[in-house]
Amino acid sequence: MTHLISARDLRASYSGKVALDGVSFDIEEGASFALLGPNGAGKTTLINILCTLHRPDSGSVSVAGHDALRYPRRARRNIGVVFQTSSLDDRLTARENLEFHGLVHGLPGRRRETRIRQVLELVGLEEWEDDVVRTFSGGMRRRLEIARALMHEPKILFLDEPTVGLDAQTRQQIWQYLDRLRREWSLTVLTTTHYIEEVEDADVVCIIDHGKIIAQGSPERLKGEYGRRWLQVDTIDAATLEDVQARFPEAQVIGVRSIVVPAESADPEMFRKGTFEGKIMEVRHREPTLESVFLSLTGRELRDRADPGKVANGRGERR
Amino acid sequence: MIGARRKRWLQVAANLALVAAGLFAVSFLPPDNSLADVRRTGVLKLCVPKEFPPLVQDDPQAPGFDIELMQKVAEDIGVRLTVNVMLSMGKDFNPRNWQLTRGQCNVIAGGVADTVQTRNFLQTIPTGAETGWVAISLTGEQPESGSTWAVWPGSAGLDRVSLSSWVREQGIRPVLMRSPAELSQLLQSGRVDGAIVERFVASSAGLPRDYRVTWLQPKQFGRYQMALGLWKGDQTLFRAIGRSVQKIKISNWFGGKNVQYGLGTLNALPD
Amino acid sequence: MSEFAVLLRGVYGVWLREIMRATRDRGQLIGGVSRPLIWLLILGVGLNPYFRGEVYGQVNYVIPYTYLQFLFPAVIVLNIMYTSIQFAVSVIWDREFGFLREVLVSPMPRSMILLGKVLGGATVATLHGCLVLLLARFADVTMGVDQIAMAIGLMFMLSFGLTSFGILLAARVRSFEGFGVFSNTLILPLYFTSSSVFPLDPSLSRTQAVTSYPEWLVFLVRANPITYAVDALRGVLINFHQFPPTAGLAVIAGMCVLFFVAALWDFNRS
Repeated sequence: MTHLISARDLRASYSGKVALDGVSFDIEEGASFALLGPNGAGKTTLINILCTLHRPDSGSVSVAGHDALRYPRRARRNIGVVFQTSSLDDRLTARENLEFHGLVHGLPGRRRETRIRQVLELVGLEEWEDDVVRTFSGGMRRRLEIARALMHEPKILFLDEPTVGLDAQTRQQIWQYLDRLRREWSLTVLTTTHYIEEVEDADVVCIIDHGKIIAQGSPERLKGEYGRRWLQVDTIDAATLEDVQARFPEAQVIGVRSIVVPAESADPEMFRKGTFEGKIMEVRHREPTLESVFLSLTGRELRDRADPGKVANGRGERR
Repeated sequence: MIGARRKRWLQVAANLALVAAGLFAVSFLPPDNSLADVRRTGVLKLCVPKEFPPLVQDDPQAPGFDIELMQKVAEDIGVRLTVNVMLSMGKDFNPRNWQLTRGQCNVIAGGVADTVQTRNFLQTIPTGAETGWVAISLTGEQPESGSTWAVWPGSAGLDRVSLSSWVREQGIRPVLMRSPAELSQLLQSGRVDGAIVERFVASSAGLPRDYRVTWLQPKQFGRYQMALGLWKGDQTLFRAIGRSVQKIKISNWFGGKNVQYGLGTLNALPD
Repeated sequence: MSEFAVLLRGVYGVWLREIMRATRDRGQLIGGVSRPLIWLLILGVGLNPYFRGEVYGQVNYVIPYTYLQFLFPAVIVLNIMYTSIQFAVSVIWDREFGFLREVLVSPMPRSMILLGKVLGGATVATLHGCLVLLLARFADVTMGVDQIAMAIGLMFMLSFGLTSFGILLAARVRSFEGFGVFSNTLILPLYFTSSSVFPLDPSLSRTQAVTSYPEWLVFLVRANPITYAVDALRGVLINFHQFPPTAGLAVIAGMCVLFFVAALWDFNRS
């Protein structure tokens, strides 16, 4: 197996604050690699290093066989990047944005024309090719950015939070495009996200927190290895919650009246009778999910789901 | 699709063309009232000295080249020419003391040379007649060091400063004349070896026989065209008169008049 | 496909984008048209009575040209200054709205990216300078084809230098608002001390002493590089120099090299 990307012991810091603290990983050709972690975990820094925008303090990166730190321009020929915030020129039309990208990547005229048509078709924006990007919705812009990143036929596509700020339907659509891409163009895809449900289909998930990789593997392997079965207990008041926590030291509070208890240390029956009788609204099992993996590894819940509140937040970030 | 793109660029081109056309159109606005004023009063005021032969002469049959030219110009513009003879012109070394003002004259002629000095306060329309310093002597030679020469710098706007410093450098003893009328007398008196004057002074002074006229140090001193002088800033009038003069030049009027007044190439003066 | 062709294509791409953006920016075009109108039509005509001849032999304005002719080349420089230095807004815009990253992850070397950008900005600024040329008739400036060609060459060099300067500025300004202040505290003072609206050079001739200025003003004018750019353009358009003819060309070429290299150094570092 060839490694399309190898990162070794990457360290980076911004004004004294450590952003990456010794990160190493390999990505195989054709794989779908997901970087999962909460905001501020170091995902964007890592992407910036991989696409040669940022120099790490130490460590090495090779992209498609090129030392990305010594020969950044060679590395860049092989990558396509979709940034977290839009990098389109919104005064130009969709086609003009693509044309620009083709020119700066040195594609000759006829090749540009063919590729523009192909990528526009791929993301279904043919009808809007001569519309100014300013008039585009968030989803259309993201699709156009994906199309643009593919113009020069990169071997690997980096997507930094590709679905942030989009509604559920559009997010699903984006993932469909990305799936199709991987299948049809055998592309290697690296995505970062903090939406846990979006990484379930990835080949490799890499969980990163506080600038360190804390687990890496296929979703199934991670679930098998770190995923504990938990019992979720919803209490009727906060006092009961404290009682449950006092009784099970390993329990984790996940809401005002919700707490999870390791399944191996407790039996649902315990909550239906005895001290807790009448004070519990519901007790249910939680199957191992990546969420529970994250919880087990960090002791925290990766709460950032793509709920409507988050959508609004995402927009706020973009401008 | 390609149509939409072409339309976009066409629109850009159309906008630019519109802007360019607008600016160009604006450039046809008159920058001042000088021509409008002349048209309104129907009078074009020309200021000339009493005499500056052959450009201005005290002879109703042959009033001088500049006067005749300006009559043609006024005709062309469609106004009447009034000639104001300014007795003060040429009487003093300092032209400021002639007291010629914008109120009295639209155009000044009869002794205006097209030099940088003149153009500091006037705009000029050259009329073709050449002027410059000339040396008048029996031998036709250039002044030599130690010789004595009568000097009359004239008032056409030639660079007197450079003439006087040249005279000093060459070690020539200058004898200043009080007026051009003294020229013949001085030459014949034998007190001087020759005279340095402006070309038109030489041609109009009625030189004694046998005296020869040559350009003074052609390599050192330039030659200039005589010109019609208009006040700086009277752009519309300047343009109108310039156009008329151009038209008159094309009509071949100049050729005949140059012969009549002995202008044209200075056959009397070898280079 | 040679490496050179690829680089050229990239520079062309960056250049083309700047041109396209300029064509979509009406505000910029309006500025480019209104400035020459204000400075030549309003100021030039308004001040004409104070600079014209009134009494024969009396020199109150020591230039063998009319005020409009004198002003005309300076207005070209003014238009170029505004457009070039305000080009920095486009650079800030790219940085703030993320477009810069799109260019930076392309295989183009940074020097070529910068070259494309500067060439684009310089082209737009030169075109704005050419807008002023359309008013030549109004100012009684007559030009031959060779003069126009030389003038455009000079204008482009000046635009190139000033655009590089604008990019240098942009790297030091954090916001658009900050830049607005910058442009007004920079462009107009540079313009007014460039011997643009009044002639200034005591050594020109003795008569110049009539209109002498205090020493500090003379110093400012002589220290201002724009003075020499205006002078070079005057030399080409109305054949009038206050300084040695080669000085203007040398200063403009110097600005091109100095500011571009400095901007490149800045850009490579960021």
